[in-house]
Amino acid sequence: MAQVAYRKASRIFPGSPPVRAVDQLDLDIADGEFLVLVGPSGSGKSTALRMLAGLEDVDEGNIEIAGQDVTNVPPKGRDIAMVFQSYALYPHMTVAQNMGFALKLRGVSKDQIQSKVQEAAKLLDLSELLDRRPKALSGGQRQRVAMGRAIVREPSVFLMDEPLSNLDAKLRVETRANIASLQRRLRTTTVYVTHDQVEAMTMGDRVAVLESGLLKQVGTPAELYERPRNAFVAGFIGSPAMNLKTVPLTADGAKLDGLTVPLPREVLDVAAEQGLSSVIVGIRPESLRVASEGENGMELVVELVEELGADAFVYGTVRIAGDSQRFTVRVEGRSSPKLAETVKVTVRDSDDLHAFSPETGERLG
Amino acid sequence: MTATEAVVQTESRRSPPRRGGPPQRSDGRALRRSPLASVGLHAALIMASFIAIFPIFWVLVTSFKPDENALETTPKLINEPTVNNYSEVLAGDFGPFLTWFGNSLLIAGLTTVIGVFISATTAYAVSRFRFPGRRSMMLSFLVMQMFPFVVLIVPLYNLLLTFGLQGSVIGLVLVYCTTAIPFCTYLLKGYFDTIPIDIDEAGRVDGLSPFGVFWRLILPLARPGIAVTAFYAFLTAWGEVGFASAFLSGNSEGKTLAVGLQSFVSQTQVLWGHLAAASILIALPAVVVFYLVQRSLVSGLAAGGVKG
Amino acid sequence: MVTSTAEGTSQGRGATAPRPWGRLGAFLHRHWYAYAMVIPVVVVVGVIVLIPLLQNIYFSFTNINDSTIANPVLDRPARYEVVGLDNYGNVLSGDPSYGDFYDILVRTLLWTFGSVVFHYLFGLVLAVMLNRTLKGRGLYRVLLILPWAVPAFVSAFAWRYLFNADYGLFNAGLRGIGVADPPTWLGQSNLAMFAVIVVNIWLGVPFTMVALLGGLQSIPNELYEAAEIDGATPWQRFANVTLPGLRSVSATVILLGVIWTFNVFSVIFLITGTNNPNTRILITYAFERFFSGSTRDYAIAATYGVLTLSMLLVFTTIYLRVLRRQGEEAW
Repeated sequence: MAQVAYRKASRIFPGSPPVRAVDQLDLDIADGEFLVLVGPSGSGKSTALRMLAGLEDVDEGNIEIAGQDVTNVPPKGRDIAMVFQSYALYPHMTVAQNMGFALKLRGVSKDQIQSKVQEAAKLLDLSELLDRRPKALSGGQRQRVAMGRAIVREPSVFLMDEPLSNLDAKLRVETRANIASLQRRLRTTTVYVTHDQVEAMTMGDRVAVLESGLLKQVGTPAELYERPRNAFVAGFIGSPAMNLKTVPLTADGAKLDGLTVPLPREVLDVAAEQGLSSVIVGIRPESLRVASEGENGMELVVELVEELGADAFVYGTVRIAGDSQRFTVRVEGRSSPKLAETVKVTVRDSDDLHAFSPETGERLG
Repeated sequence: MTATEAVVQTESRRSPPRRGGPPQRSDGRALRRSPLASVGLHAALIMASFIAIFPIFWVLVTSFKPDENALETTPKLINEPTVNNYSEVLAGDFGPFLTWFGNSLLIAGLTTVIGVFISATTAYAVSRFRFPGRRSMMLSFLVMQMFPFVVLIVPLYNLLLTFGLQGSVIGLVLVYCTTAIPFCTYLLKGYFDTIPIDIDEAGRVDGLSPFGVFWRLILPLARPGIAVTAFYAFLTAWGEVGFASAFLSGNSEGKTLAVGLQSFVSQTQVLWGHLAAASILIALPAVVVFYLVQRSLVSGLAAGGVKG
Repeated sequence: MVTSTAEGTSQGRGATAPRPWGRLGAFLHRHWYAYAMVIPVVVVVGVIVLIPLLQNIYFSFTNINDSTIANPVLDRPARYEVVGLDNYGNVLSGDPSYGDFYDILVRTLLWTFGSVVFHYLFGLVLAVMLNRTLKGRGLYRVLLILPWAVPAFVSAFAWRYLFNADYGLFNAGLRGIGVADPPTWLGQSNLAMFAVIVVNIWLGVPFTMVALLGGLQSIPNELYEAAEIDGATPWQRFANVTLPGLRSVSATVILLGVIWTFNVFSVIFLITGTNNPNTRILITYAFERFFSGSTRDYAIAATYGVLTLSMLLVFTTIYLRVLRRQGEEAW
């Protein structure tokens, strides 16, 4: 067990111009923590993980594991175990051999390897499969073997690189829960990479959002959801995504079609300080509702209704300053509007609004 | 490689690996073939197989004939069959056949082991590492094959003399290795390319050095590729005449089979029956090696020849 | 590929960990695994190919032969001299005493392209047939690849015996169907060239076939199914799925085929020897200048070698350039 730290760590792919795949990453991961690195493809999340594994150069800065600078230490000296997206099981070894390979390389005795492998196999429900080759396993079983291979090592850090992306939807949800509870039980520091923000939100103690090699925000899932530090995180976290619109700023708030939404005082102050005449306003679908009779609202032309049973998501367009802008609104399942209908939509609670600077994308207030 | 490519490839290499042999065509196709088409297909393949094996089959037939019966103007399939040809060749009536056989086996075996091993390490480096000189090395392997190697006999002779390897088995083996290396490396590089890099990385995380990864993971996984390469290297050395006659010592004991038999041909122009028997004996080890690797040939060569 | 994949990635350059031994040290530290793995081949190949090759190129500018080469036995020092481009001038003039270069070149091209075209055609047809699901496929495959496994020495013997004018099976067959005076196949006529090309085709088809079979098996079945759903006839499927799918294998197979066939020595040497002018190609002539005859004209042999290399280099450069323009790569 150990804490992990990135200290202004960069990975620069050579080329012209060179690409900073990971740019001055500063991140502290506590002992026993489950940290999720999330971001769109090309954000550098996998590269960051591979730097920690020692599979990728660290061109600037340092990486520490358990207080030791491991920047120049090869993977085998880092006491880490990794679960790959492809699982990377050794095709020519049985499940038991796959799981015991790292121990064998370290000269652990045969009996000890066997007992550790069996223990891990029991934990992962693999006991019946120990003599099989990876080829003869289903996708879910392979995934569990990959987990088993990591667990058997009892490493100080688990690294997982999109370990669920090759599973079907149902199995993914199931395995997600299993991995999370396993980690809570073992209390091994875990760094987990995914592009799926639902995975990130449900599994991580904390989530780090990356984009273009830059760390956009790190915090608990609730923090990211409730107080995204910038427009990128706001749009990335949450499904369906937050409505983010650049709108003119008035003395009281943001002007949306027939609706002026009041913004908190401190937001308006900061905006005034920065001399902004417009603002990116962020409204989650659940912060919008259908307006009641006679209330002010935006005229939303319904284009698609996604019925989910208890509730429904209404997708439509609103004309703002001559442009038609897309909005997503969550409504009660039973009272959802029809296609091509026009409904008036208003904000549920102005405290749930987010505002970002159109220039920097940073949160205002 | 540009930087953007590097980034794109970081992502694309995450895609699930393609392991194992290429997918086989489904059986549905055969069922829809008309009976006539099936007959035609078999007829064509039988015909082709016949052409492929007939010359060798005819040598086999001849090897059981007494020499004079092998010279009839209307040859018969079976004509006073006898195994005398074999027993006389093996008994050493035409030179120390078994000694030559042993020499050939030793030389071909060493060529195979050394050639495949150093080709494999090179191919692995070329497949996995981006080191300066990588591309030019592969290109020079291509250029190497363009030069008529027999013409180099004199400079090579001088060279081996300088190193004290003239007349030695090792000198000849090194020359054979050189002729086999370019294609072997190319083939194995292609095969290694099909093994996902994730496997290497998993091995590194599990505690292997890069050499360890090569030795304990990649070599066992590349068996079909290794098999084809070994076959190719073995054939390069087995039955070669030109270099063997130039670089091995002149005494009779040191010759390889092919060289020994070559002299036997010139002495005994008419002993076709004996020659046939000797030929069969020479072909046998190569055919055995072929049979051992034949299952791997297609997949091994496929990965080498087919990019992506 | 990522630059650092499996290699030593454990160095922090720049700000954090300045290398003690400077830039060369960093370079070696980064690549030493790779160089350690290629060094045996580089050394062996460098010594055994590069040195003789350079020496050979030098020889082609001299008048080295058996009487001017150094002879340690007779304690005679080397007496050959640099003669500039004389050898090239003599050879390229087409003078018969220097081998009638253009005649040999034409034969070499005939030999090479005759062989490669049929290697490819037969190889493709057989590969396509073997790629179908059918009974006995494994057996057919073994039998069809067998010629590859037989040492050239033995194959040459087999074919020489079949082609023999007096007691060869071919002529026995011809006599059987009433040809009174069947030809001397391996004599001093162009029939001999035909015969050696036939043998070379027989020898080379298995390799092409196996390579193309591998290529066929890597074409995803979905493509055939999609083409079938689109209503493609079997011929259209072959032309629009199979052939394009084989492009990259074919490019490599043909390139190697040309390079190898150009320099195939053993077939002609073992079947018609080096003294038959009708089967003379560049490499056998070089060998002939080298070994046969009293002169042992190393210089002319070396010149022929250099000319062969140059022609193949030009061919390969053009070939690879054309391929690259079409978005393909070979080798």
